[in-house]
Amino acid sequence: MKALNRRKLITASAVLAMLGLVATAIPAQAREVGVTSTQIKLGMTLPMTGTASLGYNKIPGAAKAYFDYLNANGGVNGRKVTLIVEDDRYVPTEAVAKTNKLILRDKVMALLAPLGTANVKAVASSVNPARRGVPVLFVNTGFSGFADIKKYKTTYTVLPSYVMEAKIMGEYIKENFAGKKIGLLYQDDDFGADALAGFKSAGTNFAIKVPYASGSQSAASAAGWITKFKAAEVDVVILFGVSSATSAMLGVAAQLKYAPQWMLGSVGGDATTIKLTGVPAGVLYNAIGFSPVPATTDMKDEYVKFFSDIYAKAVPGSPFDLNVLLGMNTAFMTAQALKAAGPRLTRKSLMAAIDSKGATFANSALVPAGYSKTSHVGLTGYWVGKYSPTGDLSPIGGTYVTYTTDSGSGPVVKSTYKRPAMPAKGLPN
Amino acid sequence: MKISTLKSRVLAILASGALVATVVVAAPANAAATGPTCDGKTPVQTCSGTTSDGALYTMQVPSDWNGTALLYSHGYGFIIDIPAGVPVVGGTKVDNSAYAGPDAASNAALVKAGYAIMGSGFARQGWNIDSAVKTNVELVGVFKKQFPKVSKVIAWGRSGGAFITQSLAEKYPTLVDGVAMACPVLGTVEAELDMALDFLWGLKTFFDPTIKGGNYSAGAAGVGEAITDLVKMFTVIGKLQASISTNAWPDTSKVPDSMKAIPPRSALLLVGLMAGIPTKSTSFDSTTGPEGPLKLSWPLAIAPAMAILENGAQGAALAILATHDLELQTGGAFYDNSKTDYAARVADEAVTFNAALSGNTALNGLLSYLNPMNPAAPRLVGNPAALAKLRALSTHTGKISVPTVVLAGETDVISPAGNTQWLIDRYDEQYAAEKAAAMKLLGGSYKAPSKKLIVIWKTGADSYSKFTAAGSPIALLPSDPNSNAHCNYSAAQHLALINLTAKGIAKGSVSYDGATRTIARKVMSGVIGPQRFPALQKYYMDK
Repeated sequence: MKALNRRKLITASAVLAMLGLVATAIPAQAREVGVTSTQIKLGMTLPMTGTASLGYNKIPGAAKAYFDYLNANGGVNGRKVTLIVEDDRYVPTEAVAKTNKLILRDKVMALLAPLGTANVKAVASSVNPARRGVPVLFVNTGFSGFADIKKYKTTYTVLPSYVMEAKIMGEYIKENFAGKKIGLLYQDDDFGADALAGFKSAGTNFAIKVPYASGSQSAASAAGWITKFKAAEVDVVILFGVSSATSAMLGVAAQLKYAPQWMLGSVGGDATTIKLTGVPAGVLYNAIGFSPVPATTDMKDEYVKFFSDIYAKAVPGSPFDLNVLLGMNTAFMTAQALKAAGPRLTRKSLMAAIDSKGATFANSALVPAGYSKTSHVGLTGYWVGKYSPTGDLSPIGGTYVTYTTDSGSGPVVKSTYKRPAMPAKGLPN
Repeated sequence: MKISTLKSRVLAILASGALVATVVVAAPANAAATGPTCDGKTPVQTCSGTTSDGALYTMQVPSDWNGTALLYSHGYGFIIDIPAGVPVVGGTKVDNSAYAGPDAASNAALVKAGYAIMGSGFARQGWNIDSAVKTNVELVGVFKKQFPKVSKVIAWGRSGGAFITQSLAEKYPTLVDGVAMACPVLGTVEAELDMALDFLWGLKTFFDPTIKGGNYSAGAAGVGEAITDLVKMFTVIGKLQASISTNAWPDTSKVPDSMKAIPPRSALLLVGLMAGIPTKSTSFDSTTGPEGPLKLSWPLAIAPAMAILENGAQGAALAILATHDLELQTGGAFYDNSKTDYAARVADEAVTFNAALSGNTALNGLLSYLNPMNPAAPRLVGNPAALAKLRALSTHTGKISVPTVVLAGETDVISPAGNTQWLIDRYDEQYAAEKAAAMKLLGGSYKAPSKKLIVIWKTGADSYSKFTAAGSPIALLPSDPNSNAHCNYSAAQHLALINLTAKGIAKGSVSYDGATRTIARKVMSGVIGPQRFPALQKYYMDK
């Protein structure tokens, strides 16, 4: 080799070495949709307006509050997270259109926390994120069907499934209301079908089951439900519906002075949302509720305290409730997934990171997550609480007793899960 | 009138009345080849004649001809005259006239752009693939002889004419240099009829069991039966339209009273979903609701059924008329739903449209009624010989040999997007095999094969439904740019389709380059192929 060529080679090597140094300091420019050296774009669809938006419309603000905090502290591997939110009004066809916009026009890297079983299902069929390789992270629905990893290859659940919730409710009933007459109000769709499957697995017998078609809930229909429950002389009424159904039922029950032992499913059990509809807080008193994350009033909990402080600064005056906590928790888990995917972030590396490390991501939930290479199942259980006279859900006896199970025939067991400590400054490490 | 120009008038008043089926089954023309006779005019010379099977043809060649000739195949044409009183399709006559393109405006635009255009009327209407391909082959020969300077031939067609075009390209790959298809029917006629006949069967079973729905008699009696079915079908559609506000089942329905607590619109939606009818229609986007209390509940609970109503009228009309045609050709009733699992077919949509289906309990009740064991909902068993003959009619392999451009509607009511997705899937397989073969042959010096298929989906606006101040829906015209009416394409869109194909021929390949993306967005009101993945037709779920 001639000297000149050798010198050129040395020069080239030096340049490459310099580039290598730079590359360790600044994330490599990943060739991935929605990812630049400075930004990661995520997209979310959910009802921000309309009757179905109540409570849920706080989720984007909550997620953004955490992402803003994250970005102010350097982002993830030098990239700031941008969340684009689209209002689907809870209409499946609109969710499809808005998701197409997010993927094709906004070119988001991943979809985050889309809300509603029907909407997520419509998007899966019509937009087909699985075939596009677009991650659908931490869907805001507990429909157990989304755990079908063959059908929904890129979808990750986060909420415990409705089957799990019903199984845990059934176990609680067995232990605490043996011999009592139980009534069930449920939504007559896959949400309710999951609940029925869970109660069947738990061996719960109902004196009466009252279905309502999604969208039919109103004060008038609630009066009809109460007539049925009264006629069946039930002692315990389980409200396994959305917030508007729960609110309608409790509001009319207050007017009619109908006061069985209420048991509220987590979907419709957010006290802040219920109270916003005019339901007196006292109606909730002593009702039994379920949640996978700590009580939103539990400021001794390091996650609740951390999230509520950030939220109070980001959205002053807005109550810190279950929707806010879940929204921030989802953003928090997303940040860890992005971090775990490494500096050369791609859609594939993001999903691989959840598959391999998702079960160990720090988050506020008091129950374990089930992520693995063969499972996209998120949280797997609940703790049981009672509502206070002011409508706040707190653990019975002051201590969180958590139960975990699966969406199949597995038993309901008391969980020994030890939650990971909050990472330093609440930032992914 | 060709199916591709069928106008959606279902929201017009549906007057049925007593109709006299004074119809004549058109006999194919049979004459020796004549012409071409050319008028020698400038700037556009027009020639006409007949092919050896008696099909009329026409050609137009501009003075500034660019050397490329377009061979157009028109879509499905009825084989019988339809009495004027029949809604939607009434007054349609058997039409054997020659079509050099889809419409006058498109033809003028193509000729103005320098293309020569030609096309025949075919010797036989109805499902005529094999004979139409023969006519086309002969017509290309006639053109080349008359205009020997032809440098390229692009075969193109719409709807059933696209089926003819793809068949021609598969059978005679060296005859054409490029292929363009709009709103194509592809694969097999069985899949298309399966959609239409599932809808008709569901309509009959829930709402009027006296609809015959196939197995029509031979001769004039069969024509009368088909016309009677058309009238009954449109009458039921009219009653269902009225039922949207009353929830009253049509008086011709024989379902038990207990089932009548379910709104009939839910049963109608189920029938549409079973068949794979789109839930967006000319007037109903299934997203927009009127201002006021129905703003959310309309798109959730009502609009999908309204879209099925508007779309289904056309699907059912096709079911009746094409079934009559193909039963004549195959010698018997071929439709067979004896093993169709309708519950499986709607499993996904049952979640998405749960509110409009009135919930799981209602849905399960409706599906139970359609159970094969229910004597009130008899399944149909096809005649094996007729089915074998149907399957022996021209079908596609999906093989693509020349640059091919497809323009398809995402929610086209007559040729569902699944048709085009079927072709995309076949071509993906073909391309993967070509790539593997090239890699095997050339190893490290391998060069990727050129792409020969691109697709543009016409998507239109997401939200377009309109309402009066009182909240009543306003029927939109099928020609509205956002309408999903079958083959609702403008002259500019047809010209862009042909230009893209010509560009592909010049390059030897087609691609989703920047120019194509711009055309897709700005001219076609749509998106490029990889940006949509529509489901295949329901027919393929059973295969």
